[in-house]
Amino acid sequence: MPSHAGAPPSRRRFLALSAGGAVAGAAALSGCAMQVSSGVSGSGETVTLMINPDDLTPELIKQAQKDLGVKIRTVKYDITKLIAMLTNGNPPDLVRGIGAVDAAYFAARDVAEELDPYFARSSILRLDDLDPVNDLWRYDGRTQGKGPRYGMAKDFSQDSMYWYNTALFDKTGVDYPSETEPVTYEEWLDNAERLVQRKNGQTTVFGGSYNGLGKAILLTSLTAAAGGNLFTDDFSQVDFSSPEARKALGWYIDYCRVRVGPSIIDPDPNTWDGPTYQANRMAMSNCGYWLGGLINTAPKLAEVSRLAPAPVFEGGPRISTCQGGTGLWMPRKARNKDAAWRVFEWFFGEAPAKARASGGWGIPTLKSLRSLMPAQEEHQKQVLKVQEAELKHFSVASFTPYAKWEGLESIFNQIAPAAMRGDMSVDTLARRLNSAMNEQLKRGKEQVG
Amino acid sequence: MTVTSLPPKSAARVRVRVNRLVLYTVLVAVTGLFLGPFGWLVLAGLKSPEELAASPVHWLPDTIQWHNFADAFHLIDFLGYARNSLVIALIYATLVTLSSAWVGFGFARLNAPGKKILFGILLGSMMLPQLITLFPTYLIFAKLGMVDTYWPWVLWGLSAAPYLVFLFRQFFAGLPRELEEAAIIDGAGYIQIFWRIFLPQSWPVLSASFIIAFTWTWGDYIAPQLLLSTDHSTLAVAVMTTYVNGAGAPVANLQAAASVMYVVPILLIFLVAQRGFVAGMSTSGLK
Repeated sequence: MPSHAGAPPSRRRFLALSAGGAVAGAAALSGCAMQVSSGVSGSGETVTLMINPDDLTPELIKQAQKDLGVKIRTVKYDITKLIAMLTNGNPPDLVRGIGAVDAAYFAARDVAEELDPYFARSSILRLDDLDPVNDLWRYDGRTQGKGPRYGMAKDFSQDSMYWYNTALFDKTGVDYPSETEPVTYEEWLDNAERLVQRKNGQTTVFGGSYNGLGKAILLTSLTAAAGGNLFTDDFSQVDFSSPEARKALGWYIDYCRVRVGPSIIDPDPNTWDGPTYQANRMAMSNCGYWLGGLINTAPKLAEVSRLAPAPVFEGGPRISTCQGGTGLWMPRKARNKDAAWRVFEWFFGEAPAKARASGGWGIPTLKSLRSLMPAQEEHQKQVLKVQEAELKHFSVASFTPYAKWEGLESIFNQIAPAAMRGDMSVDTLARRLNSAMNEQLKRGKEQVG
Repeated sequence: MTVTSLPPKSAARVRVRVNRLVLYTVLVAVTGLFLGPFGWLVLAGLKSPEELAASPVHWLPDTIQWHNFADAFHLIDFLGYARNSLVIALIYATLVTLSSAWVGFGFARLNAPGKKILFGILLGSMMLPQLITLFPTYLIFAKLGMVDTYWPWVLWGLSAAPYLVFLFRQFFAGLPRELEEAAIIDGAGYIQIFWRIFLPQSWPVLSASFIIAFTWTWGDYIAPQLLLSTDHSTLAVAVMTTYVNGAGAPVANLQAAASVMYVVPILLIFLVAQRGFVAGMSTSGLK
C-alpha cells in the first residue's frame, strides 16, 4: 500500500466526527431504547411476560401496575426468541403456551416450573374452583392430564364443536343440526356437500370448514372420537394405521377431497374462518364457543348463528375435546417467581379473567366466573345452553411431549396434499406419515432422554 | 381505384407515434401490475371486514370506511412505534452509510495483500441468510446486555453492510486516479483524500445508500421482534402483530389501513431523494 501519512488534524477530525456520530446517535437514546406509551412506568419488581398482543391490553397492564405494584414488561411470543432466552438462561417470567400441545413438551424438557405449591397457598386460584380443562397443563412424566400443574388455561372452547348459519341452511333446505344430539362426521360432510355453493368453478359459499386448531391436534382429537389413540402408549410414536386413526385420517382426507371447505389444497384467503363466516360465505365453521366473541359484535350475524355439539363417529364415543387451552406457564429459571405468581393470579383470577369471561371469546377456566358469560340476548342463551350441555362430554386428548405440533403439522402439510388430490391412497399416506413423523418423534425422545 | 400513399416523412411520424403508443401501453400495464398490490392494500383498508371477505370480490367499497385509518392509528400508539422505527432507521442508515463508504474506499483505492480474498469473503457474506445467524445474534447481544436496547443497530451500523460496501467500491473505483494523485502531491493522506475529495463527490451514492439502509431497517421485522420488548419495538412489528381480535386472529382491514400509513414515510423519502437514488445506482455501475 502506498504510504502517505495524513495530516494529524484531519485524521483526528475524521475520527472525532465518526466516533462522535456513533456516540451521539447512541447517547441520544440514553443508552437504551425508547418506550411507547404503555402506561407502565415507575419502580417496583419487573415481571416479563412473553405473550401475544391480544392477551393483555395496555389498559389492563396499567391496572396491574396500580393493583399489584409490579411493573409488567411484555415481549411478543416467538418460539425462536423463547428458545434463545431459555438457552441464555434469562427466560421470561411467564410464557404463553397452548396447553393441549405445549404443556407436556416443556414439562418433559424440565424447563417448566411445577406450580402445585403456588396453587396450594392461593386464595384466588383455588383448586376446587379450577375447571377440568386446566388438567391440560398437568403432566406426570408420561401422561398429560395427570401429575403436577405447570400452567393454567386463560379460557377455552371445545374445539370440535361447530357454528352454523341458519340463513344458509334455509336457503339450501338442509335441516338444522340438533342442539343436544350430535350428527355423525359422515352426516356433517353430507350436509357440507349440500350447503356448498359454487359459481363458474369458484366456491362462493363454503359448505363447512373443519380444520381444528391445527392438523396434528385435530387428528389426535378425531382419532379419540373414533375410539382410539393416535399415539402409542408411551407417546413415542404415531400410528395412523390403527383402525381408529385410519378412520379419522380417511375422513379428513375426504373432507379435503370434496372441497366443501378450506384446506391446504383449497386455502381460504382470509386465513381463518372468522371473516368468511362473517361475510355469510360459510355455512358451518368448526370453531368452538370462542367464535361467539366475533359473532356477538355483529347483531345480524348473531341472529342467524347457532352452536352445535361436536360430531361423533358411527360407533365411536361421544367426546368433546379442547384442542387449545391457551394460557401461561412459568419457566423454571424465571428470575422473579413470586412476583410472577402474583401476576399469574391476577391474570387468571382477577380483572383480565373477568374481562375475558364477559367478552365471549372463551369459557372461563374458573368455575366461579361462569356467571359472567354473555347471556343477555336470545341467541346468547341458545349458545350457552348448547355449550353447558357439551361440557359433560369434555375430555383431554393427550399429545406427545416429543415433538412440537408445528413440526408434525409441517410433515402432514408436505405429504398429505397428494392424498387430498386423489393421487395417493389413504393407506399409503398413513404409512408415509408414520415413517416421517416417527423419525421426528425419535429425535425428540432422544433429546428428552 | 387510386392507391394513395403517405409521404415518407408522414409515414415515419406515424410509425414513431405507433411505437410510442405501444411503449406507453406496455409501461402503463407494467406500472399497473406493480402498483396493483398497493392499490389492493389501500382498497382493503377502506372496506369493512364483510366486504373484504365477500365473494364475488367487491373491487370498490360500497361505503368507504375512512374510520379504519383513524381506528388503526388510535388502536395502538402509532406515533410512538413510528418514532422508534425512525430512530433505529436513522441511526443505522447514517452509521452504515459512513462505515460502508469508508470500507468501500479502502477496497477501491488502497492495495494490500489479501485484498481480493477479503473482498470475496465480504461479497460471500451477502449470501448468508439472516435466519441462520438469528440465534447466535440473540445470544451475543444478550451476553453483552444489549437486548431491549438500540445498541445492536449502532454496532451493525458501524460494521458496514456488504452490499453498500460494494456500491461504494464500484463508485470510488470509477473516479479518476488523477484526483487522488493530485491530492497526494499536495500532501494529503488517505483519510483526507477520502473525507475531503471522494466523499463530497459521492452524494448520489451516499443518498442511494442512505435510502436503501433506511428502507431495510424501517421494513425489518425479524431483528426488532427478536431483540426488543413490545414497548420498545418498531412499527413493522406492531403493524404485523397488534391488529388482532380477542382470539388473536388478524383484523385484516385495520392491518391494511395501518400498512398504508406505515409505507407513507418510505414513499415520501424516496420521492424527495429519488434523483440522488437513481443517480447513485447508475453511477456505481450497478443497474
